[in-house]
Amino acid sequence: MSSSPPPSSAAASPSCPKKMIALRSSDGETFEIEEAAALQSKTLENMIDEDCAGTPIPLPNVTGKILAKVVEFCSKHAEPGVDDESLRAWDAEFVNVEQATVFDYILAANFLEIPTLLNLTCNVVADMIRGKTPDEIRKFFNIKSIFSPEEEEEVRRENHWAFE
Amino acid sequence: MASLESLTEDLLVRIYKGLASDGDRKSWRLVCRDFHRIDALTRSSLRVLRVEFLRSLLANYPRLDTLDLSVCPRIDDGAVAVLLTSRGSPWAFPRAASSSLSPPGRDPLAWTRGLRKLVLSRSTGLGHHGLEQVIRACAYLESVDVSHCCGFGDREAAALSCGARLREVKMDKCLGVTDVGLAKIAVGCGRLEKVSLKWCMEIGDLGVDLLCNKCVDLKFLDLSYLKVTNDSLRSIGSLPKLEVLALVGCSLIDDTGLQFLGGGCPLLRVIDMSRCNGISSCGLISVAKGHEDLVQLNASYSLTECSSILLRCFKDLKNLNAIKIDGARVSDSAFKALSNCTSLVEIGLGKCIGATNLGLMRLVSGCVNLRVLDLTCCHSITDAAIFAISDSCRNLTCLKLESCNMITEKSLYYLGSFCLLLEELDLTDCGGINDTGLEYLSNCLELSCLKLALCPTISDKGLGHIASKCRKICEIDLYRCNGIGDDALAALSSGCKKLRRLNLSYCSDVTDRGMEYLGQLEELWDLEMRSLFNVTGVGLMALAAGCKRLADLDMKYCENVDDSGFWALAYYARNLRQINLSHCNISNMGLCMVMSNLTRLQEAKLVHLNKVTVEGFELALRTCWVRIKKVKLLAALRFKLSSDVRETLHSRGCKIRWD
Repeated sequence: MSSSPPPSSAAASPSCPKKMIALRSSDGETFEIEEAAALQSKTLENMIDEDCAGTPIPLPNVTGKILAKVVEFCSKHAEPGVDDESLRAWDAEFVNVEQATVFDYILAANFLEIPTLLNLTCNVVADMIRGKTPDEIRKFFNIKSIFSPEEEEEVRRENHWAFE
Repeated sequence: MASLESLTEDLLVRIYKGLASDGDRKSWRLVCRDFHRIDALTRSSLRVLRVEFLRSLLANYPRLDTLDLSVCPRIDDGAVAVLLTSRGSPWAFPRAASSSLSPPGRDPLAWTRGLRKLVLSRSTGLGHHGLEQVIRACAYLESVDVSHCCGFGDREAAALSCGARLREVKMDKCLGVTDVGLAKIAVGCGRLEKVSLKWCMEIGDLGVDLLCNKCVDLKFLDLSYLKVTNDSLRSIGSLPKLEVLALVGCSLIDDTGLQFLGGGCPLLRVIDMSRCNGISSCGLISVAKGHEDLVQLNASYSLTECSSILLRCFKDLKNLNAIKIDGARVSDSAFKALSNCTSLVEIGLGKCIGATNLGLMRLVSGCVNLRVLDLTCCHSITDAAIFAISDSCRNLTCLKLESCNMITEKSLYYLGSFCLLLEELDLTDCGGINDTGLEYLSNCLELSCLKLALCPTISDKGLGHIASKCRKICEIDLYRCNGIGDDALAALSSGCKKLRRLNLSYCSDVTDRGMEYLGQLEELWDLEMRSLFNVTGVGLMALAAGCKRLADLDMKYCENVDDSGFWALAYYARNLRQINLSHCNISNMGLCMVMSNLTRLQEAKLVHLNKVTVEGFELALRTCWVRIKKVKLLAALRFKLSSDVRETLHSRGCKIRWD
């Protein structure tokens, strides 16, 4: 990840129209996002700084359904005057979705380099794992690859006796 | 459709890092091979429990920066030699060829290059030879802790001095280290920033002077209980970067020495001068006047009186966070002066003569940011003071009211109404509180540590209120609470799942039924249950089988527990590290089973075991002499135990206390 140049200070006065960036999802849908919101994504920030943000930016790794929500997230987080508590409540509602969607968010946040969304979603998955036994974790996430019986016995033995 | 398996490794690492608890990380590594690999590549700190796993663990975890061997028995020169040999397979158990758990060809000594912090505290079996080998092998080591290796002396200090990159050395209670040893460390480890020499009684002014001359980067220095004089303070004053200084119990220093300090150490933020009989307000004034950025000042049990000039000085300390003047005589003007220090977050007034309701009300009217307040043995305060405190200091997290026997349930009502962030409350010996009070207190949902020792007026009902609402409770002290019985334990077992430390000594109404409830507390780690004569082997078995994490058990005087209980203990309580079996009716066989089977046992108190013969002790000690570190035996045994046993124990660094 290259270090991004500092964002351009765009202090838009109410009379000036806000600059919009166009994004195109992998399935051809186009979305508009305010520049201030787009700056939440380091990937988009780099593109804006390098002046490549004229035509709709193609995002081949993100579907329309997910991109719509990501735009919503970035716009909400770029809104001025929102207090911490209501933002947290909004975030909690935002990630109150099914498992597969959370993973889609993680992949999108990773691709677009949105630290706030990435932290939020990874913590949600960690929360899902917290307190579960290994069996429950496998079932919950539908994990297929497992250990051989000898390997599992060894790891179990280490867990119990070897360290803390 | 995205699943957990579609995430890349770095994303899985992120999620793994979100799991803070040891239990969750262990569950993670047991899920599948990929997760196991993530754990192996990310885990940076290990506390090893058994030496037979050590080598394979070190080979498996290449990113370790911290290794804690303080609870691992049998760490000695031989173990170190095995660890540092590059030949031979590190894995104790043969692995299937198809096992992908640990790729072959990885250098088994890679861990020595990554290690930054090594904890060898209480590794009494280690000698200077082994210590030198491991320090030299871990060339990038920055921090080493050899505290409580009581036999360590100048040769071990010389071994430590081989660590040229060391920044932090903890040598508390290394009783044999003298100025010569300290000099070697000062010369060899010029980059030292943090040095702790508590209880190293052989060290004096000479060693400290050399240390201050050679290690100019020192930021943290602990010389508590040393026989250092004002000359040491002159040397310490020259340290330009010192931030934290601890001189607890340094009885040979006085105000003259503190004047040196007042003129030096420009960056000093934290100073602990508790229990220094030679100092007075005068000396503290020179320290305070010289350091306007002081953050913490501890003068507990050093001052007889806080002069008014000293108190006025405190007002100039704009960053003062914590002040402890336990044991001093305080007047109302003292409280007025302290109330001007609005930055104060912690105040210690234990055993302060003259602490009155009025004074405290004045104090909290100014210090509204208080979070920690110690009023131990302030006998004259009443509910009125607690009302003022709760009303003003809404952020209170810790309140100590031991022996404040005029406090009644009204105080608990105020606390339960206003101080909802309260985490720690000490009501030891507060004879005025009762079950109704505990009901009011149960509104403090953040409560994690509650001390109710010597409160005979509380019963199962009151504890039931606490247990039903305060789910975060980790520690409860019910020492000599005669009203407590099995029903209280039933309530605790269902409500306080996080309970880790419990003291039930002398709660004689507790029976086997109560023990069964305790067996449901999976996190229980430290249990004191002295003199529970209604508990039998059945109860102990239920406890041992359920509380798998039990590490500390004190069952002195539990005379009705028979061997069936001790056999169960020997079988189930594999994590036990410390045990007190004095005055128990354990047999020869029972003792032998306990001492031999519990491979993590390191400290045992075995006084007055009436059914154990001399041969029984001999056998039991022989089974565990490779790993036991401290044992307490009846003085009469001293001349009856064979010299063989005594010498071996001594050579392994085990300390025997004769009662």
